[in-house]
Amino acid sequence: MHHFRFTQRKLAVALGILAVAYTVQAYRIPEFTAVETPVQPGSLPRVLGLVLFVLSVALFFQKPKAKEESGPVPKPKPEPVSVSELVSKPEPPGGGPVGQQSAPPIGRFSDTRLELAALLAAIGLYAALFVPLGFVLSTALFVSGLAWHLGYRRHAVNALVGAGTALGLYFVMSEGLEVALPMGLLPF
Amino acid sequence: MDAFSHLMGGFGVALSPQNLLFVFLGVLIGTVIGMLPGLGPISAISLMIPVAFTMDPVSAIIMLSGVYYGAIFGGSTSSILLNAPGVAGTVATSFDGYPLARKGQAGKALSIAAIASFIGGTVGVIGLMLVAPSLSSLTVSFGPAEYFALMVLGLTAVVSLSGGNVTKGLISGTVGVMIALVGIDSQTSVLRFTFGHEELYEGVEFLIVALGVFALAEVFAMLTRRGQGAQTGAISSLRLNKREVKEISGPTGRGSVLGFFVGVLPGAGATVASFLSYSLEKRLAKDGKTFGKGNIKGVAAPESANNSAAVGSFVPLMTLGVPGSGTTAVLLGALLVLGVQPGPLLMTEQPDMFWGVVASMYIGNVVLLILNLPLIPLFAKVLKTPQALLLPLVVVFCVVGVYGQSFSTFDLWLLIGFGVLGFLMRANDFPAAPLILGVILGGLMEKSMRQALLISSGDLSTFVTKPISAVLLALAAVSLLAPVFGQLRRRRRGRALPQDDGAGQDDPDEQGAKVDANVTRP
Repeated sequence: MHHFRFTQRKLAVALGILAVAYTVQAYRIPEFTAVETPVQPGSLPRVLGLVLFVLSVALFFQKPKAKEESGPVPKPKPEPVSVSELVSKPEPPGGGPVGQQSAPPIGRFSDTRLELAALLAAIGLYAALFVPLGFVLSTALFVSGLAWHLGYRRHAVNALVGAGTALGLYFVMSEGLEVALPMGLLPF
Repeated sequence: MDAFSHLMGGFGVALSPQNLLFVFLGVLIGTVIGMLPGLGPISAISLMIPVAFTMDPVSAIIMLSGVYYGAIFGGSTSSILLNAPGVAGTVATSFDGYPLARKGQAGKALSIAAIASFIGGTVGVIGLMLVAPSLSSLTVSFGPAEYFALMVLGLTAVVSLSGGNVTKGLISGTVGVMIALVGIDSQTSVLRFTFGHEELYEGVEFLIVALGVFALAEVFAMLTRRGQGAQTGAISSLRLNKREVKEISGPTGRGSVLGFFVGVLPGAGATVASFLSYSLEKRLAKDGKTFGKGNIKGVAAPESANNSAAVGSFVPLMTLGVPGSGTTAVLLGALLVLGVQPGPLLMTEQPDMFWGVVASMYIGNVVLLILNLPLIPLFAKVLKTPQALLLPLVVVFCVVGVYGQSFSTFDLWLLIGFGVLGFLMRANDFPAAPLILGVILGGLMEKSMRQALLISSGDLSTFVTKPISAVLLALAAVSLLAPVFGQLRRRRRGRALPQDDGAGQDDPDEQGAKVDANVTRP
């Protein structure tokens, strides 16, 4: 995750720019004049834009926690562990999880950023092909293709799960819940 | 006695074969989803909302609340077996549950978790039954100004009690309200922030935000972890002996009561409750030193507290219509779409609904116990799902959930956008719960603010001259300032005592880290 960590200052600046853009946009909301109202449609957005700006200024001047800026730290305190980090904490060496050896890591690229870009591209492709190809085909391709890319080795099971999920969900959604998913190329 | 007869009526509703089936399904599905690492109650409920939309509102809320406590219980299973809490609320369970599992006592830990959850849940339901009616008769008198203040309090409390940086939490909340205001203004039909996209006229569906920021962001996070924590363990005997039952009875009882009251407070909830209960028992126990090395009390305490708090958080949701946590916020969103407006009038206007839910919680708890104890070994197989396969499946569920609601590809792109946003927020320690709360409360907040100002003919002082509203706003201010003062105090104290063990209790993240730091894993 560290690739996607930005310093507090950079975040604050980005948020400040967002706040200004938002506030400008909020002032361009037309006034409502048909009936007199104390609260214009633009009132709350303007306040919010201002609040966000103040907060980003506060964030800019706030002292970041020790782990973010590698300045001289007087005392090594235990790092605050957020929940996600707690989850991601690597296992202590020697003892894997209860009774089993650890599975190979998922993904093919050594660079996590590349892997994430690939995932994002795959989801984007899925969304783009969702209607033209239809739910069943696009879903089966997406599930099996992505699982294969991530390193799932049992190809027969993979194909079965992909097709099974696609058909199963399609059936449940269209028959059980009467939600019409795109049919695409398939005749049903 | 009145409550009792209502409750009987509620059982009538909940015990209808159809609703019984939904309780069962909800608990089962919730447990399975909650067990999958990374997927917690919010993801579970969001994933089930598209299904709920097709159902009648009473059955839908019964099923969704089943999903909620099922997911919390399921989360404890993955905490114990994998040290991979699917939910923040079960992080504390992993401190002792996982060491127990490593000692070959996974079965024991799981049955303690099941029993403690059952007791916690039951105490919570009794509390809900007792507290909710009186609270709702108090809040019937709430006008728009009071509601506005209450929603502000709800937002700030979630920000301050979720721990971490208050400024970042407030930023999340503000952006959430901003997202809520996109679309045609309901009162004046003026377009706001639609940037010429017709798809945005109706606003951004909260489900898209919830699925993106929680479920899809979790997929990205799963990938950056490279599937660590996706393995499973064997399960030993589930039996407890008499001495052990006696040992856990105290922590379970205290945890249940504590959990309920923490759950009722807006902003607190299962996570805070479980950490509080864990640290309380650690201090009370004579063998407190063994906490973190596989003490069964360390499983019973957080488990009873988080389940009880989960039920407790229904109190503000059902009586005030203001959710106290991210999860109940998602539930509120679902209710609003189903055409149910929770609030003080819910109990008088739709008693079936309220008492049906209360009764179904009783039933859900029983189902949870009888379902989980025998099925635990089977459930553990779910954990064997390789993440390489799980990951695309979660994406598909998100996509189906969004598309099945709006039939628009534009919303799929929005979903992806929110997924990226959620991931970046997580990587930079911005909490997601205030964002989703802002999205859900934003519209209501603006509406009640307008009504209040219309009544006072534009006089802003109406929010501070009305006593209840003034008190609520003052509480909101205090809730924001308290953590700041707490940090200052801690810093001063930290200088005096370098290795301070008794962390301030208002900061669950920090506290969690300290508890965790004390754990020396074998």
